[in-house]
Amino acid sequence: MDELLQFLVAGLKNGSIYALVALGFTIVFAATGAINFAQGEFFMLGGMLGVFFAGLGLPLPMAAVAAVAATAAIGAVFELLAVRPIKGGDPLRIIMVTIGGSVLLRQMALHLFGPDELPLDPFTEGPSLKLLGAAVERQTLWIWVLTGLAVVALALLYRRTTFGRAMRATSIQRDAARLVGVNARAMVTASFALAAALGAVAGLAVAPLTQASFHVGAGMGVKGFAAAILGGLGNPVAAVGGGLLLGLLESLTAGYIDPLYKDAVALVVLLVVLFVRPQGLFGGSGRVKM
Amino acid sequence: MGGRTLRALAPLAAVAVVALLPLVVTDRFLLKVFTFAGINALVVVGLALLFGHAGQVSLGHAAFVGLGAYASAYCTVRLGWPWPAGFAVAGALAALGGLVLAMPSLRLKGHYLAMATLGFGELMALTFQEAEPVTGGVDGFGGIPFPSLGPLEVGDAATLYWLVWAVVGVALLAAYNVTSLRPGRAMRALHGSEPGAQASGVDVVGVKVRTFVVSALLAGLAGALYAGVVGFISPSVFTLTASITFLAMAVLGGTGSLAGPIVAAVVLTLVQYIDALIPGLPQEAAQTIQSYREDIYGLAIVLVVIFAPRGIAGLWGRRGGRGEAA
Repeated sequence: MDELLQFLVAGLKNGSIYALVALGFTIVFAATGAINFAQGEFFMLGGMLGVFFAGLGLPLPMAAVAAVAATAAIGAVFELLAVRPIKGGDPLRIIMVTIGGSVLLRQMALHLFGPDELPLDPFTEGPSLKLLGAAVERQTLWIWVLTGLAVVALALLYRRTTFGRAMRATSIQRDAARLVGVNARAMVTASFALAAALGAVAGLAVAPLTQASFHVGAGMGVKGFAAAILGGLGNPVAAVGGGLLLGLLESLTAGYIDPLYKDAVALVVLLVVLFVRPQGLFGGSGRVKM
Repeated sequence: MGGRTLRALAPLAAVAVVALLPLVVTDRFLLKVFTFAGINALVVVGLALLFGHAGQVSLGHAAFVGLGAYASAYCTVRLGWPWPAGFAVAGALAALGGLVLAMPSLRLKGHYLAMATLGFGELMALTFQEAEPVTGGVDGFGGIPFPSLGPLEVGDAATLYWLVWAVVGVALLAAYNVTSLRPGRAMRALHGSEPGAQASGVDVVGVKVRTFVVSALLAGLAGALYAGVVGFISPSVFTLTASITFLAMAVLGGTGSLAGPIVAAVVLTLVQYIDALIPGLPQEAAQTIQSYREDIYGLAIVLVVIFAPRGIAGLWGRRGGRGEAA
């Protein structure tokens, strides 16, 4: 029983990270109809920039805010430089540009910060806490808290603010949104910035446990996308559900079958969902046309 | 001489240059670089077909190359089969993998294939590493014999070069037929407007799946050739980085032409070995170029997609067209 609890804690920890990355995929997909292959690199940048700003001597909370803000800015600039010039918004070309861009972001991190794995202090020092017999690292609590806050903030943004309503309107019907005065192009830029910020929060929150490294983007990109499509691409609530579920599947596989298969779980999930239920577990039937 | 004659002669001249190169280039290492260029070209022709004619992207072609390489190595070394049998199995296995991947993801509207290939590539990279009894794991798989046809072993650098480029030639002929005849028109229509093509009776999904299977097959054959030329394979070769390199070559080469992707494959392969190609190059400069190699690929993809979506082939085409009009 304790063992199972421990696996659940680990699964929900990683699952929260996947949920944030999956949200990033979902937001950009909603705005552009394209998969943003650079989403994993935003996750990577969150960790790397967190280490960088902490290294400058900033106190950790300020370094964290700076890292998320800087990554969001990079996301916006990325959209302005690479995605906006594509006339007509052809999703194939957007995908290609984000593939090339993801390579450039990774290489940029490599040239600036070097090839080593970089440590980041836990947000709160101290021994693990006991929760119903399972040991929970303090950083894991931080991951849950930050994920929860990010999800609530996103929900409020979408539902309560004019800006969020404009974003939703754009994703539902771009031309109709423009007719009622929404600046659709700005909404696409905003979606990249928002997706980048969510990725950065995830990368930052997990960095004290895993260390930050320039090469983790692609792997996290695949896992985050697997989570997004497991829930149902384009639906924020489903993305969170997909992320948590994927994390649990991974940790239970690693715990009860073989740790060797942990990284294969997301890939198998991705392929199986594409094959069997491309609209995802929580998605309606209309999202992905057959 | 009119533009038309020139254009008819250009392929012949290109074939002559490729065929006669070993008589001029006698340096064994340099010849090997051009052999690698041929192997890359084989993969890139398939990717260009997929990209240009089916409007799809693959981020997993290094996995098909790896599948072919390991399959042919296993057949020739462990099973003791003759090389052509291993070569055939390599192609067949990669094609089968392509079919399994393409069928479900191409049924869907959108670009799920790109993500499916990325997942497939990562899964295969993991498999090459962990399936030690078959692949030799991280230590790699060595002692792979040179290609041979019956009693004839293809061992020296020049013959290997000719073998590889002969396969490229055959693949090009096949691809040319596929692209200019009926199926090719169907594929181009598809890239133009999918509903339009469908309305005209084109089996949209079928064409896409077939194109993907052909591209996987070519990558598998390239893998078998690579294993035979190098004699040693390891998981570090068949990674996402390699897939992106292939993609950069295909994108740079452009759509609507098969010469473009070949030229791009050769040029970007030469960049990869730039330090060996320029004899007087200082060590530091060579290292700098090496460390920025992937930046070059990434930048090439971004710039081409934004500014010249039809690649270098598009630039040629424009110039050729103008010449003809004048």
